[in-house]
Amino acid sequence: MSQNRVDEYRRNFITALGGAAAVVAVAPTLLLREAHAAGEVAAKPADQAVTNAKRWGMLIDVTKLTDGGAGMVAACKKEHGWGDEAHSSPEQQAHWARVVKVTDKLTHNSFSLPVMCQHCENPPCVDVCPTGASMKRADGIVQVNKHTCIGCRYCMMACPYKARSFVHEALQDQKPHSPRGMGTVESCNMCVHRIDNGQLPACVEAAPDAVVFGDLNDPNSAVSQAMKTIGGKQIRADLELNTGVRYHGI
Amino acid sequence: MTSKFSTVFLASVLALAALLAGCSKAPSEADLNLATAKQKAEQCVEPENVIRTKHMDMLMHQRDATVIEGIRTKQHSLKECINCHVSATKEDGTPLHYGDKEHFCTTCHAAVGQKIDCFQCHADRPEVGQDPNYQHTVGSVEGHHFTQGVTAAAAPTAAEVQMVAQPQQGAAK
Repeated sequence: MSQNRVDEYRRNFITALGGAAAVVAVAPTLLLREAHAAGEVAAKPADQAVTNAKRWGMLIDVTKLTDGGAGMVAACKKEHGWGDEAHSSPEQQAHWARVVKVTDKLTHNSFSLPVMCQHCENPPCVDVCPTGASMKRADGIVQVNKHTCIGCRYCMMACPYKARSFVHEALQDQKPHSPRGMGTVESCNMCVHRIDNGQLPACVEAAPDAVVFGDLNDPNSAVSQAMKTIGGKQIRADLELNTGVRYHGI
Repeated sequence: MTSKFSTVFLASVLALAALLAGCSKAPSEADLNLATAKQKAEQCVEPENVIRTKHMDMLMHQRDATVIEGIRTKQHSLKECINCHVSATKEDGTPLHYGDKEHFCTTCHAAVGQKIDCFQCHADRPEVGQDPNYQHTVGSVEGHHFTQGVTAAAAPTAAEVQMVAQPQQGAAK
């Protein structure tokens, strides 16, 4: 009985906390910063499998990216060690994330945005993979299982976002947390090793004022609240892929 | 004519004999260069005979659990094998890679003629870039060993134990 009373007290306390958080979230200027309060990505016990209770996603506010996303791309390069392939031509170089410049032909208004794997709910790259190596994890992260990838590159053709690249040369001294090697396709994996560890993806950490990361399934998460308030556009929304990476200001 | 044929025949017999003699020499302890391994054998995540015969199965199981399900336990993780058993550089300070005879994995794989492709993608030495003390010592705070119990893995069969204890005649050197 006394235990129940404690639980009830806790429940009320947490509800009150939630209310306070919601009030803070209403202030749009504070919105993006609040997302980085501790606990947005809770550490999962290492011995437990991921479930579909969560679906990871992010909202990128392009208007707040002063460098057009170059900093985010640089952080990704540093985290995963791609982009230094000595023997590959520029067309062959790995591009887990890239800065795309968009210009309106009529008004000449232009802006840049970072484009990486959009982590679709219905990923075309998974549909076409002959070995099942291109996969969507239970928590919505789309990635390549390089153990079974045969390097056929169908997924590169299928992806409407040009998010995937192929490793053309033998590599050495890869990052221990991010294995990558010749003959396999690779792409943004939302820093899956960091998420499993309770950390934010490297690019999100690099642009804390412009990107909100979190659980799209939870209507109260910072990213869901931010999208509810300022909206979140998909690139090529006409394809109805329900992307996990959304943009504001495009 | 006859003498020429016999010379060729004799030469081929001799060459074959030399080849057979070379093959039949079983790798000795010295050939295997097991110093690094033996140093840490007592503290490994599984008993020595289990790890010798089953490490490939454990790694195979762990890789699917990690990539597909996000299970990142450290006991059977390849990254932790490397962190514990492989030093980042050779004695002269140059980078140590799989294929060098000092590399922990190479010591046995070379002796038994095993060809693996783990290190085409995976790092074959600990990362020292940011943290020079990245390579943890067994039993330290970083140590995770025996946390799940050593009986979790299936014991090797008698045949497997014997195979490891006594390398078969004719094993490639």
